[in-house]
Amino acid sequence: MSQLRALHFVVAGRVQGVGFRPFVYRLAQRFDLHGWVQNQLGQVEIHVEGSLRNLAGFATALIDEAPPLSQPDLRAQMQTDLAGMTGFTIRPSVGNVPADIHVPPDYFTCDECLSELFEPYDRRYRYPFINCTQCGPRYTLINALPYDRAATSMREFNLCPACRAEYENPLDRRFHAEPVACPQCGPQLLFQNDRLRLSGESALVAAVAALRAGQIVAVKGVGGYHLLCDAKSDVVVARLRARKVRPHKPLAVMFPDLMSAQQAVEMTDTEAEFLSSPLRPILLLQQKTNNGLATEVAPGLVEVGIMLPYSPLHHVLLADFDAPLVVTSANICGEPVLTDNTEAETRLAGVADVFLHHDRKIVRPADDPVFRMSAGVPRPLRLGRGCAPLELNLPFTLETPVLAVGGHTKNTIALAWDRRVVISPHIGDLGSLRSMVVFEQVIADLQKLYNVTASRVVCDAHSSYASSRWARASGLKVSSVFHHHAHASALVGEYQELHDWLVFTWDGVGYGEDGAMWGGEALLGKPGSWERVASMRPFHLPGGDVAGREPWRAAAAMSWEIGMDSPALPTDGDLVHTAWQRRINTQQTSAVGRLFDAAAALTGLVTHASYEGQGPMWLEAASTGNACAVIDLPLSLDEHGIWRSDWAPLVKMLLDTTLSVSQRADLFHTSLAHALLAQVRAVQEKHAVRCIGLAGGVFQNHRLTEMVVNLLTAAGLQVKLARQVPVNDGGISFGQIIEMGSRHD
Amino acid sequence: MTDAYITLAHGNGGRYMRELIERVFARHLGNPLLDVNVDAARLPWDAGELMFTTDGFTVQPLEFPGGDIGSLAVHGTVNDLAVSGATPRYLSLNAFIEEGLPLAQLDRIIASLARAAKAAGVVVVAGDTKVVRRGEGGGLYLATAGIGVRTPGVTLGMQTIQAGDVILVSGPVGDHGIAVMLAREQFGLKGELASDSACVLPLTQALLGLPGLRFMRDPTRGGLATVACEISHATGLQVNLQQSAIPVRDPVSAVCEMLGYDPYYLACEGRVVAVVAESDAAVALDAWRKLPDGKDAAQIGYLQPGRVEVVLHTPLGGTRILDELEDDPLPRIC
Ligand SMILES: [Fe+3]
Ligand SMILES: [Mg+2]
Ligand SMILES: [Zn+2]
Ligand SMILES: [Zn+2]
Repeated sequence: MSQLRALHFVVAGRVQGVGFRPFVYRLAQRFDLHGWVQNQLGQVEIHVEGSLRNLAGFATALIDEAPPLSQPDLRAQMQTDLAGMTGFTIRPSVGNVPADIHVPPDYFTCDECLSELFEPYDRRYRYPFINCTQCGPRYTLINALPYDRAATSMREFNLCPACRAEYENPLDRRFHAEPVACPQCGPQLLFQNDRLRLSGESALVAAVAALRAGQIVAVKGVGGYHLLCDAKSDVVVARLRARKVRPHKPLAVMFPDLMSAQQAVEMTDTEAEFLSSPLRPILLLQQKTNNGLATEVAPGLVEVGIMLPYSPLHHVLLADFDAPLVVTSANICGEPVLTDNTEAETRLAGVADVFLHHDRKIVRPADDPVFRMSAGVPRPLRLGRGCAPLELNLPFTLETPVLAVGGHTKNTIALAWDRRVVISPHIGDLGSLRSMVVFEQVIADLQKLYNVTASRVVCDAHSSYASSRWARASGLKVSSVFHHHAHASALVGEYQELHDWLVFTWDGVGYGEDGAMWGGEALLGKPGSWERVASMRPFHLPGGDVAGREPWRAAAAMSWEIGMDSPALPTDGDLVHTAWQRRINTQQTSAVGRLFDAAAALTGLVTHASYEGQGPMWLEAASTGNACAVIDLPLSLDEHGIWRSDWAPLVKMLLDTTLSVSQRADLFHTSLAHALLAQVRAVQEKHAVRCIGLAGGVFQNHRLTEMVVNLLTAAGLQVKLARQVPVNDGGISFGQIIEMGSRHD
Repeated sequence: MTDAYITLAHGNGGRYMRELIERVFARHLGNPLLDVNVDAARLPWDAGELMFTTDGFTVQPLEFPGGDIGSLAVHGTVNDLAVSGATPRYLSLNAFIEEGLPLAQLDRIIASLARAAKAAGVVVVAGDTKVVRRGEGGGLYLATAGIGVRTPGVTLGMQTIQAGDVILVSGPVGDHGIAVMLAREQFGLKGELASDSACVLPLTQALLGLPGLRFMRDPTRGGLATVACEISHATGLQVNLQQSAIPVRDPVSAVCEMLGYDPYYLACEGRVVAVVAESDAAVALDAWRKLPDGKDAAQIGYLQPGRVEVVLHTPLGGTRILDELEDDPLPRIC
């Protein structure tokens, strides 16, 4: 018999709410070790005694075999004195030590729960709230940390004896699975239409019947309500669009399984794997022809956002319906998704025929995360359920906690302290009552959950963003960051090298250092000290915010700027010409996003957008990516020493009707990519550039992004794109933190 | 006076000035109480409380569809008294005239001022003119001060507003702001767009007897939205406005859409925003709708405990917070 030794471990990282302690318990049993494991608010402390060989096996398995959802970070492993322990215990949590807190996001349904869900003899057969330590909701139902059932919206449900036994058994998969529930003791579904009220299994059956009958069903999911309907019926999808007054904005589609999805969209193995990963994102993929989906699902586009079932409710619904369903967030005009039963019924009256509620409260909303492949990597367009709050490390240490309130559209907020930062899920477009309520709730909640109180706030330099107004009224010390500095810093903040960047911040409009509306800027330097070295020829854009929704205005303004008559003005358009001449509600801009708008309008694709980004998206969809000629955009230095690419030659090309719309779209994308390379070359003549970054909403366009990446790579340059933080305004809050924290270095 | 234009001599206290006052101001504004030869006016007064207000006018252009700086100088001051629950009686008038202003134009403006005063039942009892050098004034600036008699028993003010009260507007909003802007920038539009400049006294008097009347305001600079913000801040209540209920004339909303302006922030010069107890809302609306300037009056919103903010409820079921006016609005959609 070998000699006994004792080891002590400290494990940090994501080890809460993911079954880590039961895992340690089982491991100790397996290696015949004695001792204890204890949760000390975020960190797990382990004491084990046994043979040297068993201790070594334990130490390896502790990290290698950790539960899939955990992300253990071994902080210490040391020899310690033998205490002569017998047996192994899970000691009660110590909750008052402020430490390394991690708020888990909402997880998909794990394979084990899934097989129980469809096992007729299981007591949770078809129970839509099945979960375990390896799966189920977290962020959307936690009221406070430490993560205990009493601090979640599950506190209203008393465990039945069977569930309690699982909950208290360290060897059970549901040991301390806080949302554990079963049909006897847990949340119930509730079906509601103008005639009927049903609960439980009959609610589920009635909802599926409604979907089969072509009705629109509002379903309360994990992070909010969705609107569901038959994705194959043109009539039904058109009805949904008419009722939501949403003529074109693409709708996401949920498929019953990977195989049915593969029949409808083009998918590589990498994409299939990502789609089926625990994140269960919405992924934009190219539609196959005649795939059966209603054309109304994504009009004007080639791609469609698809996802696989993630919650048990979705698994059961999709299994019963056995065909793709439109699953779109139930919200009003860019507001955060609805979460409350009564509010949903009030505000979706006239949209939904049927409601499928449940009685578990959603504490805070989380939309589905949206990703798009670009240059071979899935990149987030929207953070949400499954990936938010997104926890990252900072490249510096903060002395005092900082809150960043983000931009105005696609808002997220970020909270940073020490060397950590967390980014909230997508909140929505600010300026509505509900978005401001959720915005404030998330600000309060993140501070409460992470036990961090911000003493400063950082906002956009645009003083009338709702987030900036909030910051000024907060009573905290306020700093502001220029919009495109934040875009650039958000990208750099994901990487460790912080110097000698040249970041192209191509975007819609944002308030710039010179008071003009930026959006086509090349910024040289590093977070905290950006210098604008290149941009686009500026033009005057009339109409303020309306210009962002009416691409014809950018088209007209660019035509007027180069002395041409504008083609095809709408009624009263000459009024806008006068306003443009007199500079009434007309701002100077260099935004590439507006060049895309103009191109969409000049080619006749989109003159009035019904959703943000429609013009650029339709233009991208019209492009083929085929090799084509390049139109040279003359590059010259302006009076401030900034290189400016002149878009004027593009206007004439875009109006050339001897070319097809696709040819013009190809020429436009290709020429802009080459203009970017030309700017890099011009800047390099005088400055050392180590890394080229691509940031801002324009680089959601993967046609353009891939052209740029290929061009720059072929030219021997290093190119970087965001992988974790949205390249659009969802990344502004993170960029504000990076920018602000770098100013003190 | 043979010269067609104002010269510095018109302000030197000599003959030119006397002739200017006699032939323009006194001719149009003359009344038994106005004595251009004394330093102060003697005014008869009956019992009761006085209300006193003052306002300056710098509008460009001086004449615009639906009015001019003269009528505006009367309406602006008279309306401030009217919405405070007073009956306007006397005005003073200060004119700052820029060298080079055509005399004929000055004459038209002062004639218009006199007509507006007469219609509003007020007399100009004191005045002063100054001439400023060319380039130092916008042709003509006017300032008026007004005295009115307070209607006994009527206490109006934002402090009387309660949750549950409703908000009324006496007619379409935004006309003045759009008409003046288009005239100033020479958009070359004609016809339908004109200022709403008018005396609101009939409108305010129609409500003064209502026990549930809390507060009235003429939404001038900053428009309806600004008045709503002030109400919210002063009361600590949430102001809810129903977009579909707020009257905006079609040509006004068409121009606003084209220029990217929000009509709720544009000035009115002949409208009243009133806050009344819900129980009096129907009676108040009825009273207004019987008046020629109140036929489009509408109930547009209500107050409730909630956020200290103005929430516009859109026809699609969305909401938009109407913020306090910033500098010049810059686009926020990225
Ligand atoms: Fe942006
Ligand atoms: Mg006034
Ligand atoms: Zn599970
Ligand atoms: Zn149970």
